[in-house]
Amino acid sequence: MSQFEGNFDDFGMDTISLAGPLEAKLAAIREAGFSQVMLAARDLVGHADGWQAAVAAVRASGLRVTGFQVLRDFEGLSGHLHEYKVDIAKSMLEMCHALDCRLLLACSSTSVHASSEADALVGDLRKLAMLAIPMNIKIAYEALSWGRTINEYPQAWDIVAQADMPNLGLGFDSFHMFATNTPLDELELIDPRKLFLVQLADFMWNEIKSVEERMATARHFRVFPGEGVHSQDLAALVLKLHQLGYRGDYSFEVFNDDYLQIPLPTVAQRARQSALWLGESVLRRSVPLPNRIRLKQRVRV
Amino acid sequence: MSPRQTTAAERESVDEGSNPLGLDGIEFIEYATSKPQALGQVLERMGFRPISRHRSREVLLYRQGDINVIVNAHSSGSALTEQPVINAIALRVRDAGAAYRRALERGAWAVPARVEVMELNIPAIHGAGTSRIYLVDRYQEFSIYDVDFTPIPTVDPHPPAVAGLHFFGIVQYIGNDRTEDWNEFYATLFGFQAVPDAQRFGILPKGRILQSPCHGFFLQLIEPEPGVLDIDDDECLQRIGLGAPDVPAATEALRARGVEFVAVVGDPAELRGALTRTAMGSVTFELVHNLRAA
Repeated sequence: MSQFEGNFDDFGMDTISLAGPLEAKLAAIREAGFSQVMLAARDLVGHADGWQAAVAAVRASGLRVTGFQVLRDFEGLSGHLHEYKVDIAKSMLEMCHALDCRLLLACSSTSVHASSEADALVGDLRKLAMLAIPMNIKIAYEALSWGRTINEYPQAWDIVAQADMPNLGLGFDSFHMFATNTPLDELELIDPRKLFLVQLADFMWNEIKSVEERMATARHFRVFPGEGVHSQDLAALVLKLHQLGYRGDYSFEVFNDDYLQIPLPTVAQRARQSALWLGESVLRRSVPLPNRIRLKQRVRV
Repeated sequence: MSPRQTTAAERESVDEGSNPLGLDGIEFIEYATSKPQALGQVLERMGFRPISRHRSREVLLYRQGDINVIVNAHSSGSALTEQPVINAIALRVRDAGAAYRRALERGAWAVPARVEVMELNIPAIHGAGTSRIYLVDRYQEFSIYDVDFTPIPTVDPHPPAVAGLHFFGIVQYIGNDRTEDWNEFYATLFGFQAVPDAQRFGILPKGRILQSPCHGFFLQLIEPEPGVLDIDDDECLQRIGLGAPDVPAATEALRARGVEFVAVVGDPAELRGALTRTAMGSVTFELVHNLRAA
């Protein structure tokens, strides 16, 4: 199989979909023809030879790092809780920087100790973005569907727009967007240059009845786009984003307990089928020319 | 829910004025190199004089007029390179402690201090690349050099500047699409403001120019040439800009001292700027026509 077959350079896998050591995950992702990978902090800190060895393994894989996840419950805290979270954020930024990764994902706070006031959230996200500037890292702020104050993307966009930092934008996770039934019309209000990452996942149920079921589904029962019952919605989302001008990366954010107990190449092939479906059937791309080079100014911010 | 403590600024959006830190120019610029003597020769040709030595480290202070340049050859963990790099700017502020805390509150990274006994603890934050930004409030009655440095005997501690040279600014090389990021960094932490694109100084009119809130100096942010493959995203402080009231006279005086110039554009009699030939692979100075009010 050639990696030049298919046109899905902007689609990547996430290490959370695969079992086993980091090196095996990277090899399986590469073998399936992907050029990028989304990493989680525990891929680094859980490495048997230490996090620097994990960074070396990622560099050796040749895969580009789509983004680094995830900073949780950062915004809205005060006093010692805020100081503590700033320290956590700095550690994550340092690992992200060591990977030459240009994107840190931060998801909206679920903490009951956090303020709900917009000014407090805006101020904290400004500070997080400022911490990221010297390291050339962008912050993608994602509305977690069970976030306490911010749980739908239009709210996240309000906060990002108020914070008005050049390196602070939105991260989308299709699972959370569908779980809350947020209308796609709202996307019209968003500046596509401020959308820094789109994570895609399908799931098997038609309807999610409670927040508890939503959390369980999100963490254990996701499938690759095209494998669940929301394929048409995913296709509509991707087409809409493309039409609005989004040209950034798509990452498969697929948490699935079954995938963690079948061979890595099998899972990676499923991801590849999903990427081919989105790239060629949904976005109707032609196969790229060989030796294509990517120039500066890829429409990304 | 526990009540969140709000600062006065959050409640009332108190206007801190356009110069929130009381910024008042550049106290010094620091080079790091493993070849301090070679760099010293370059500086002396430019009119600087060695004034004093650090008490505990291999660090030398050079001066002309009110321009202080520090040459740091003290290897502290990170390996020094032969090619000098500008590894610090020191900004004069009203209250260094307050300015430091304000910067950290807004998301600056603190640089851990490594202070020997009886030395000053000068607060610093991380800047571009591996450089740092020091905050100094002792520059009027006392100076930081009185404490940390020993004067070199028989040397005039205040040598006059060649042809009225003074600090004009710093050129910073930045990565692709990084202009807005660094603009925000300097605006939020220190109150710098972008000057209109039509307003340019010197001979190299590229990039974005930020003016200090004290109106005393400028930062120029320069991205790689468009169309260049997206590879080189290294960022650094690239060169010092020196103001001169009469650029032709300054270039003449410096040529007489052995300084070579490149890129001297326009009628020599009406020269607005000039660039010295790069020494030691990285050291160059830009002269800019500037009549300083002071």
